[in-house]
Amino acid sequence: MRRLFANKWFIIALVALFLVALIIFGAIPNSPLNKVLTPLRAVANPVQGGIKTVGTKIDDYWAAISDGVAIRKQNVELSEEIARLQHEVSKNEEAILRYEELKDAFHIKDTFSDYDIFGSSVLSREADEWFSVIRINVGKDDGLELTGNNSYAVVDTQSNLIGRVIETNNSDSKVLPLLHEGFTVNGKVNEVNGAVIIISGDASLKRKGLCLVTGIDDSVVLEVGDEIVTSGDGGLFPQGIPIGTIESVDDSDPLNIKATLKPYAKIDDLKDVFIMVPYEKEEEDSETETTESTVADEQG
Amino acid sequence: MNKVEIIRKYAVYTVYIILIPCFQVSFPDKLSFNGQIADLMMVFVVLVAYFYGLKDGIIVGISVGILRDCFAAPAIVGFGGSVTSSIGIGVFTMFAVSVFSASVFTMKIKRKIIFALVTLLSVTVLYKLFGHAIIFVWTKIFSQAVYSLSIKELVVDSVLTQLLLNAIAAVPLYLLIRFAGPYSKGINPKLRLQEGRGADSSWLTI
Repeated sequence: MRRLFANKWFIIALVALFLVALIIFGAIPNSPLNKVLTPLRAVANPVQGGIKTVGTKIDDYWAAISDGVAIRKQNVELSEEIARLQHEVSKNEEAILRYEELKDAFHIKDTFSDYDIFGSSVLSREADEWFSVIRINVGKDDGLELTGNNSYAVVDTQSNLIGRVIETNNSDSKVLPLLHEGFTVNGKVNEVNGAVIIISGDASLKRKGLCLVTGIDDSVVLEVGDEIVTSGDGGLFPQGIPIGTIESVDDSDPLNIKATLKPYAKIDDLKDVFIMVPYEKEEEDSETETTESTVADEQG
Repeated sequence: MNKVEIIRKYAVYTVYIILIPCFQVSFPDKLSFNGQIADLMMVFVVLVAYFYGLKDGIIVGISVGILRDCFAAPAIVGFGGSVTSSIGIGVFTMFAVSVFSASVFTMKIKRKIIFALVTLLSVTVLYKLFGHAIIFVWTKIFSQAVYSLSIKELVVDSVLTQLLLNAIAAVPLYLLIRFAGPYSKGINPKLRLQEGRGADSSWLTI
């Protein structure tokens, strides 16, 4: 037995088996294993946030310098001053842009009055083709909690659909982007009695930043440029969130009409997002909590 | 190794293990081309495992894998049919990458840069092919959906683009671990002793 444990390949096989078991148990819904990384997140999130901030500042500074190159050629004496001023200007422009974005966000609250809106910043984005969950800096500590099979819509500052929340931790949450193969939402053409369709992520189309549109009835005439919004069917998303426009329609097979959709949301350029939590759910949760605490009190 | 060298080793590994995953998930747009993102984490693990051996590779691989799962875990259709954020896939992937990189082209071949590149390209191809195969099967079983990627898209858009990006990313990362890495002169002394090579060996040469 000792000889076995001295063999590096035996140890490697053991570790591999352990990791496979971890993956399998982790895939079970509400698995406690998903909480294993919670303490690490508490440390890693601020570190990653700090690195992101430093990187953004370096990026801003570099952009300001590179923008100033043309001006420096025209006027060498003033180049340093121009670069410094441009840096200031770009910082201010960024601030104005963020201000405008946040101002726009207030319209979301007016449009979807039945929903509680949680503002949040994007912490991290996809690492590669498959490691593609987006992390945002709002979690259970901020009052955002998923219960059962619930999920909440995530929109950008223009209230365009980004994806949905699939996991909430203490200080952050994970968002499944709408380009992901696992994402599906019911949509409709944005007109009175608009045709209802299904929008989903697709492995082939996500590289081009497009979604797949299926479930198109053969009586429906879907045209390029049609605006698609959420239909509200299914109950996860409120009705009327803009998703995008139809990019192309393939009706060569009348029994299987397909289309592609170009989302409005620019996932590559996400900074702030908003999570839409219906008031009813919160009330239900608080009612459940009250009932549970009452039962506990009675039992206690 | 004396105390200073040991402290340097742990300090440098810690900084890179934190910095590289953070950079990759914070600025993927800066590393992307044709829908793919240069996989700095994987390249780093491959280079460490190849040049500095199995033990270093596994420790770095598991650490980077944990951060990969923590920051950007893959979303999968779970047993209940609902989409969940997974745990452990990043650790397993990086662990497998480190074992492969430290074992395959190092057994009877001196650890030359050219073979580090061959290892990196092999790992990238295997990662992509296994990834697509697993998702193809997983999609069929759990989602009962069609995995729509054609062979041409898989080869050109996924594998070849990723190979190009990872090869480009390997240049700065190699320079980093060679000249500002965990070991002075870019050589793990324990590994050199294990492999019975003298100071004038051709290890780490082209």
